[in-house]
Amino acid sequence: MSKFKMLLLFMLIANALLAQNRQLSGLVIDSANNGVPGATVKVKAGKAQTVTDADGKFTLSVPAGNIVLEISSVGFAKKEITVAETDNNVSVKMASSSEILSEIVVTALGVKRERKALTYATQQVGGEELRKAANINFVDALNGKAAGLDIKVSNSGAGGSTKAVLRGNKSLTGLSEALYVIDGIPMINNKGSQPDTYGGTDGGDGLSAINPADIETISILRGANAAILYGSQGANGVILITTKKGKAGKTSVDINHSTVLEQVKDLPQFQYRYGTVGGDYSWTAPDLTVIQPDELINITKSPITNIQSNSYQKGYIKDFFRTGATITNSVSVQGGNDKTTAYFSYSNISATGVMPTNKYSKNNFSFSQSTKLLSDKLTLSSNVIFASEISNNRPGAGYYNNPLTGLYLFARDRDFNSFKQNYQVFDSSRNLYKMNWYSTEEKQNNPFWELNNDPKLQKSSRVIASVKASWDIMPHLRFEARGNIDYNNVTRDSRYAAGGNSVTVSTTGSWSYSRYVDQSLYSDGILTYNNTFGNLSLTALGGVSYQKNHFNDGLTFGNGTTAMLYPNVFTFANMPPTVIFNQTGYTIIKQGAFADVQLGYKNFLFLDVAGRNDWASTLANTGNQSYLYPSVGLSAVISDMVKLPTAISYLKIRGSISQTANEVPFNVVHPDNVINNAAGGIGRPSYKPFPDLKPEKIKSNEFGTEMRFLDGRLGFDFTYYNDISTNQFITLPAPSGSGYVSQYINAGRITNHGFELTLTADPIRTKNFSWRTSINASQNKNKIVELIASNPDYQVGGDNEGFASIIKAGGSFNDVYIYHFLRNDAGQIMLDANSVPQKAPTQTLVGNVNPDYLLGWNNNVTYKNWFASALINGKFGGVAFSKTEGFLDSYGVSERTAAARDQGYVTINAIKGDKGVTTIDPYTYYSAVGDRNKIMEPYIFKRTNIRMGQLVIGYNFRPKNANPVIKNASISLVGRNLFFFYKKAPFDPEQSISTANNVQSNDIFGLPPTRSYGINVKFTF
Amino acid sequence: MKQIIVALLCLMIFSSCTKNFVETNKDPNQISDESLKQDFNLVGSPFSNLIFNLNGHQIEEDLCYDSWMGFMNTPTDFVGNVNNTTYYIRWNTYWDRIYGSVMSPSKQVIELAQTNNLPLFATWAKLIRVIGVSKLAAIHGPVIYSNYGSSENSILYDKESDLYSLFFKQLDSIQADFAANPNYAGFTKFDPTAYGGSIPKWQKLVNSLRLRLAMRLSKIDKVTAKAEGEKALSDPAGLIETNGDNFTNSLLGNIMPVAQICYQWDDTRMGAVIESFMVGLKDGRISKYFAPVADASMAADHPSIPYKGIRNGSYIKAKADHLPLSKVSNDFNSVTTRRDFTAAEVAFLKAEAGLRGWAGAGDPKTNYENGIRLSFADWGAGGVDAYIADATSKPTNYVDPVDGRNNFTAVSTITVAWNDADNNELKLEKILTQKYLAAFTQTLEAWVDFRRTGYPKIPHVAKNDSNGDWGVIPADQWIKRMPFVNAERTGNTAAVADAVTKMGTGAKDDIATRLWWDTGGPNF
Repeated sequence: MSKFKMLLLFMLIANALLAQNRQLSGLVIDSANNGVPGATVKVKAGKAQTVTDADGKFTLSVPAGNIVLEISSVGFAKKEITVAETDNNVSVKMASSSEILSEIVVTALGVKRERKALTYATQQVGGEELRKAANINFVDALNGKAAGLDIKVSNSGAGGSTKAVLRGNKSLTGLSEALYVIDGIPMINNKGSQPDTYGGTDGGDGLSAINPADIETISILRGANAAILYGSQGANGVILITTKKGKAGKTSVDINHSTVLEQVKDLPQFQYRYGTVGGDYSWTAPDLTVIQPDELINITKSPITNIQSNSYQKGYIKDFFRTGATITNSVSVQGGNDKTTAYFSYSNISATGVMPTNKYSKNNFSFSQSTKLLSDKLTLSSNVIFASEISNNRPGAGYYNNPLTGLYLFARDRDFNSFKQNYQVFDSSRNLYKMNWYSTEEKQNNPFWELNNDPKLQKSSRVIASVKASWDIMPHLRFEARGNIDYNNVTRDSRYAAGGNSVTVSTTGSWSYSRYVDQSLYSDGILTYNNTFGNLSLTALGGVSYQKNHFNDGLTFGNGTTAMLYPNVFTFANMPPTVIFNQTGYTIIKQGAFADVQLGYKNFLFLDVAGRNDWASTLANTGNQSYLYPSVGLSAVISDMVKLPTAISYLKIRGSISQTANEVPFNVVHPDNVINNAAGGIGRPSYKPFPDLKPEKIKSNEFGTEMRFLDGRLGFDFTYYNDISTNQFITLPAPSGSGYVSQYINAGRITNHGFELTLTADPIRTKNFSWRTSINASQNKNKIVELIASNPDYQVGGDNEGFASIIKAGGSFNDVYIYHFLRNDAGQIMLDANSVPQKAPTQTLVGNVNPDYLLGWNNNVTYKNWFASALINGKFGGVAFSKTEGFLDSYGVSERTAAARDQGYVTINAIKGDKGVTTIDPYTYYSAVGDRNKIMEPYIFKRTNIRMGQLVIGYNFRPKNANPVIKNASISLVGRNLFFFYKKAPFDPEQSISTANNVQSNDIFGLPPTRSYGINVKFTF
Repeated sequence: MKQIIVALLCLMIFSSCTKNFVETNKDPNQISDESLKQDFNLVGSPFSNLIFNLNGHQIEEDLCYDSWMGFMNTPTDFVGNVNNTTYYIRWNTYWDRIYGSVMSPSKQVIELAQTNNLPLFATWAKLIRVIGVSKLAAIHGPVIYSNYGSSENSILYDKESDLYSLFFKQLDSIQADFAANPNYAGFTKFDPTAYGGSIPKWQKLVNSLRLRLAMRLSKIDKVTAKAEGEKALSDPAGLIETNGDNFTNSLLGNIMPVAQICYQWDDTRMGAVIESFMVGLKDGRISKYFAPVADASMAADHPSIPYKGIRNGSYIKAKADHLPLSKVSNDFNSVTTRRDFTAAEVAFLKAEAGLRGWAGAGDPKTNYENGIRLSFADWGAGGVDAYIADATSKPTNYVDPVDGRNNFTAVSTITVAWNDADNNELKLEKILTQKYLAAFTQTLEAWVDFRRTGYPKIPHVAKNDSNGDWGVIPADQWIKRMPFVNAERTGNTAAVADAVTKMGTGAKDDIATRLWWDTGGPNF
């Protein structure tokens, strides 16, 4: 609150400085002399500004003396006029129509292009938009703000990984993720390991190294057509980050603070009124009553009765989670003169997660400078980003070593508080502490033991440094050379104390450790020629690039459940002799030569022809290591070619056809022998050499149109695309004749087609009140047309503990298969002789996890100095699957099972023999469906959800004098992921336990959904 | 212009850089064949893995026939206490081990042996294959063998009768190769077993294996069984007759699986069936196999012999319930080798061969008692004389100290002492009961014998979860086989269907279909 008082103070000072102003009034008109409403009128080099009213009129308090006014409005070119000291009434005519669309867009390799010349779809998101809700992860912040971008965020808290897919999954083995590029240079995004059904922790990804405060703008090149200059890396589209640079002029300093709190919401529905005596479950099998008393021997260790009680402890699950907090402080300084500019920023993030003991901290420095030499012909610029991240106890998911399993499944009749207080007990037989927990199940631990005694550390220190030289050799001809090094030093260290769960932890403790360096070298040289010849314009570029990625260079080991020599000593020397210290690391070299020629006619018709040849080391010895792919596109600004009705201010159509290739993984051409045990036994290669391996091929067509209406107040951008991926890289069991177990083949045909639509509108544009709204919508339809022509039944993927994510011909990527009930033709569930519902013999397709439609609706409203923004995110279609709910049911801890017990039965439409059955005992029913590997039919949900993704309300303090100390200040309240308008799944299907392909929208004891809200304060000096 | 030249230069440099691509694309952790040729390691170095992978681990042994035959059982309620041990198949992976880690690499080894002119290494690899596939065939029935090596997408399975003919034929040729090179020392460096590369010792294994496989056919194909059995008994290279000739394999630095499962994962305990036999018959080996319970109340029904096991196919309410029961002996934590084929098994095979009138088998009583003595000596157990002489002690009834539903009354009423007056059926039961007790940690053949003859007499599972998914085992029966693996069912569908027809009329790919040699008919 003290910060708020300071702000008020600043405001007062700013007001006091308002002296010696004069009132200026004026009118802004278009070429037809109609008033332009909603135009921004601003004093250049000052802060005074206003917006024209419905008639185009404005009044503005301006400093005395001559001033320069800047007038801008969507649909018109920005205009500056000088207003003399004596002139208190001005009239400004704005030039409308197409020249306004000479907007400059950053495209592949950092090349700037006029938007209208682009033959493919691209969308820009400004840095301000990304920072608005105080997100520390810029990918998460992109959600809903660009069409066709499907973003999944790991629910592992701060520093967790994300997955961004454009235009669907194109590769069976790859992740189909977009390439991230900083200032034209591809960035490493080497993901850490991901949790799966059995457990694990999100290893994070490289993107958390980027400080959102450094982002000037992000361009999204959705298709291969746009990204062809990146070669195979860009085949899945590109997310281009342009960082902030210093600007000539006065030095300015930005200071930003945000505090965002995070709370768990939408926990599963638990019950706290039924229990049993002893055992792991919160109910009892009805058949136990059948046992004759004389057969019972010492039965007290097994549950005997199904007990209802109102005195069981409640609320401990909700209380387990804490309120997380993410505090971000950042400062940036930029400035320079006409020769040299510089930008520096520092930011610090300190976060505590909703999961107790989870912490995250990050320090980010970045520095960039640019200097002009040799009569401004040579520009040398450099950019360094340093990020250091430390994450403690990042929450995981899955069965093993996950505090949530023990927490959720806790048998209700027991005393949770005593297990909380005494999570460990002294074992005098070993003279050490051991876990205190009633169950020895492999998947259950005392949650507090897990939190306190099994520390997980992840550290990374990353430097991204680049230099660039740009030389204007002669008029129209420029040469640019860039070099970049991206170095990331990563440590992952997970320790499990002796005395924990014996299935996953050795008697003396377990240690899983890896430490490695990712290093990427990139360089390119590009020659650009730019000229006009009468009606013709020519932009041509040609260049070469070299990239060497050396990933995972380090070591990894783990003792698993083989005992370490001494308990709880985590040193290399304490590892048992059978532990193999695995050396890791692989290198991939990619070289490219590319050219792009764009011909323009009368500035309204553009032809773009591009091509790139790649040389990839992963294809060495195949004869296919060099591969070429072309792209051709056409763009026409119809509104400049013919006279259109006045309502249409702009109309452009575009189309392009391209072909690119996806890389193949490292070392698959000719794998060699390995030493696979501590005794030095040699394992012969199990994969058949693949001497004619080819890169995966993607053909991509896209057609689109951009339109603006009503002087640009309404905009429309539509793209239809159609991608065909062939030569998929598939692993198959090798024919035994080969002498190998598995083989790789090139086969398959995957198609993705769909549309992307962006609508923008300024429904209200008055002096004090404006409302801008945009809708991003998209659809992608994926189809696996063919996998292996000779074996149409072949499938990739199989049962994963009761569900299967299967890829096979005729299906689509991420199809989900589960076991239904066994039913007769009349649809009745068939019970077996013990009245237990039977499971269908095979798994059935129940849907696809990928949504049919993505929708983002973003609104920005300003009223005087107030501003607000609201983002509604929707995903429509698809299925979600919760194994958590299955477990809760089988353990009898879900409210569903308690309600059924209250009622005494579960309603069922079943048949036993030839007798219809309408009710079934709750225990029998939920034991048949719940847990793992059983009838998962009740746990498939609709993925469709619509949420309040982001809500921001703030106030801008605008000093009214000409030269204030504080040029700008704002304070805002932000909220993210606040609530759902619609949701059917019992968890948040968009917060994924993993960003890997096969467990999407599948909850297996993942962290529950969270909502965030906080405050964001900004000063500009 | 200069820059264009620079760019062109770059390109030229690039094309020369691609020469390093082959090296770049190599994994530094892998070893090329070229490198392995040093010290002549190329052909021999894979053998330790080939031989190691003849044996399975938890899901292949402990949760399958170790449990079904009552040697071990799990205290863990895996998958809601519905799993392989209660006749609902969750894990079925020995197939992958044999084809992935034995058949596939041995094919490469055989080719390398030929190209490097080391034909005896090919012979050795072929013997490993016969051992491995004969174990696999005892689990599934028809398996892929004669057609292994085909490049067809669909590879047909061998009918069991053809499979055994092929095994015998191959053993002929293997034995001939070995017999011609008794002093060959090439294996020494690579042999991970106790044989240390001695060809004469491997020859004993060939004969013993032939006898084992012949005995499997003793009811279904008496002629072949007798002919092959007699061939094994008369071969000049001899059989594994002393513990010094035991086929003992290195654990390659790994911990003994049963110790890992028991001590590290707490997922296995002594079996109730073997408890019933060993406690009842006062078997001195019990302390070599198992550890006594720490809490005497657990074995309150026989406090003087404080060992307590878990019933085959038990009701398990919570994992903790049965954890206090007997672990395997702590000795298993420090062993570096495991038994694969022992002189005791050979002695019991000879005892049965004698009952069946095979020439050269010798006197059943002598072989029977010798088998017991060999086993006691092998395990370092005392009291063998009294044990052999005991004509009164019988298997005990079993009491589960934590869940009465698992209790059973001993089915077997066998005693140890041989009685020449007994009929052949009773003699066979004694032989196979002792063969069973000697088979600890190498238990597959005990499951074979049980299916073939019904001995030793063991209880049914307490909890039978078999159903239509994998086949129903009636209350008076036991599991008959493992189904074919899912990858084959989905990826080699036609061949699996063909294999099912090869198991006979009415056969199904389920756990209730009997294997070829499991006739269900009389033993003599």
